[in-house]
Amino acid sequence: MIQMIVKRLGLILFVVFGVTLVTFFMSHVIPGDPASLIAGQRASEETLQSIRQQLGLDQPVWIQYFHYLGDLLTGDLGTSIRTQRPVLDELITFFPATIELAIAAFAIAIVLGIPLGILAALKKNSIWDNLSRVFSISGVSIPVFFSGLIVILIFYGKLGWLPSNGRIALDINPPTHITGFYILDSIFTGDMVALKSSLQHLILPALVLSYAQLAVITRQVRASMLEVMSQEYIRTAVANGIKGRLLIISYALKNALIPTVTVIGVAFGSLLGGAVVTETIFGWPGMGKFVVDSISYLDFPAMMGFTIIISIGYVLINLIVDIIYGLLNPQMKQ
Amino acid sequence: MQINYSSKTLKSNPIWYKLKQNKMTWVGIIILALIVLFSVIVPLFSPFDPNKIDLVNKFQPPSSQHWFGTDEVGRDIFTRILYGARLSLGVGILIIVIAAAIGIVIGTISGYIGGIVDTIIMRFVDMILAFPNLILAMALAAVLGPNLQNAMIAIAIVKIPVYIRLARGEAMLLKEKLFVKSAETFGINKGLIIIKHIIPNAISPVIIQATLDVGDTILLIATLGFLGLGAQPPTPEWGAMISIGWTYLLTYWWYPVFPGLFLFLSSGALNLIGDGIRDVLDPKSAR
Repeated sequence: MIQMIVKRLGLILFVVFGVTLVTFFMSHVIPGDPASLIAGQRASEETLQSIRQQLGLDQPVWIQYFHYLGDLLTGDLGTSIRTQRPVLDELITFFPATIELAIAAFAIAIVLGIPLGILAALKKNSIWDNLSRVFSISGVSIPVFFSGLIVILIFYGKLGWLPSNGRIALDINPPTHITGFYILDSIFTGDMVALKSSLQHLILPALVLSYAQLAVITRQVRASMLEVMSQEYIRTAVANGIKGRLLIISYALKNALIPTVTVIGVAFGSLLGGAVVTETIFGWPGMGKFVVDSISYLDFPAMMGFTIIISIGYVLINLIVDIIYGLLNPQMKQ
Repeated sequence: MQINYSSKTLKSNPIWYKLKQNKMTWVGIIILALIVLFSVIVPLFSPFDPNKIDLVNKFQPPSSQHWFGTDEVGRDIFTRILYGARLSLGVGILIIVIAAAIGIVIGTISGYIGGIVDTIIMRFVDMILAFPNLILAMALAAVLGPNLQNAMIAIAIVKIPVYIRLARGEAMLLKEKLFVKSAETFGINKGLIIIKHIIPNAISPVIIQATLDVGDTILLIATLGFLGLGAQPPTPEWGAMISIGWTYLLTYWWYPVFPGLFLFLSSGALNLIGDGIRDVLDPKSAR
């Protein structure tokens, strides 16, 4: 176990090195010039030169790369070309919003996905099973910008029940900053007005973001429940008179969840990808929206900083998943 | 010869039978066939040019003349969606064919040769697989510069590792087989063994994975298009159309909704077909 953890942490270093290498060199074969984007079309050649000098763009690529790596080791991700602020500071500012959204979506996916999967497996080939199949196929086939569009059209446009933009209503002060998570902060400070508004703003994006993962989890739970239910120990348990909730939860589900945990790890990764699009369409001020806004400015430090942070997060999450997997599955304990 | 042939048909029959039984797969096949058919014959029945600007008729709601309405410069959305279908499906299949072809070559070399070559290639594959698909594709497309061609390259790079891994696994099994060993004894060179013996025998799982991947690829192209990293307007690409239509969502709902619906239908149809194929080939997931 320890060996695996050390190996995985090593993988993080390797991944960061690899991704910086590839994106950094690729970013320098493109024709765009960030300096002229900052200074504007009419800037004189001297202004452009001084900006290039300031950003280090006038040096050979490999020197620029070593500078970048050196800074990276000290936790410096460079300065955003668009906002002129350190990328790390920007990402830290936007981090809680993304995590709040991701956790909410993830919670929905797990809380609904596991029971739906059990239901589909127990009532195999029934109308419920077929509905769950249609539901999951559409979940993985629907792009978040289409499901987002539909829910905004219905719940905001037609019914006017829920807001479609931002984390909190414009006329309400965000709760005092403690953790950066609006829901938690407003509970801590007892600010019920802010709590209500931030919950309302969270519902639509979280639902939209959760759908694809919900589909994947439902499918996986169904498949592994079916497999477990056909095994001999379940037959023995049934023969011993164990039935109902006890049989399903304590006997079957516990084993069916083992493969599901692996899928959940992968699901969290694609959730982070989906978050980029979801944040963009719901005007959710998270890291994803920040990076999409940076794209049109050819803001490489911002884009690379984001990619690095996300990949580190992804490897860490998969590590945690594998540890949980090891704990759940006694065969893995050696 | 004769006996061999008939035993082969007998063996493959259950697969056909199972596929025929699976109604959802057929729903997928029919939806996809209709979209392909209409996108091919669109010039025959649509009087509209997908790119012709007609400002007088801008933002017309769906009607008998413009089935899905018109956009901000008066182009017929239905016609544009069908031209977009050519692009999305064509590009989606092209990307997968390229990714699978590169993947199978690198993967079989890696698996057959082994040693340090294999280690380096596999570390690289692990690295790419350590990323969420969309984020890596976004980063690559952004650094290469936003256009359709670069988006295709970015998605292909993201997709290749899966095929490398698959082909490598097959190659490692095949290289222990007697026919490969005997080819080696005859001193046939390694490149020729890979081309003549390893690739043809490793190809079927790769093809299956490729069919499963097309739906996801179409979504990735549209997502990059939506984020402004893929095809640029006025190309009738679904993602790019939705991205512009989004601005008019609350006033002219038909603009973003119909391209989105077609994107959903195509990727849904492809996933239904993929699901059916998987069910047939993998007894574990059978219903």
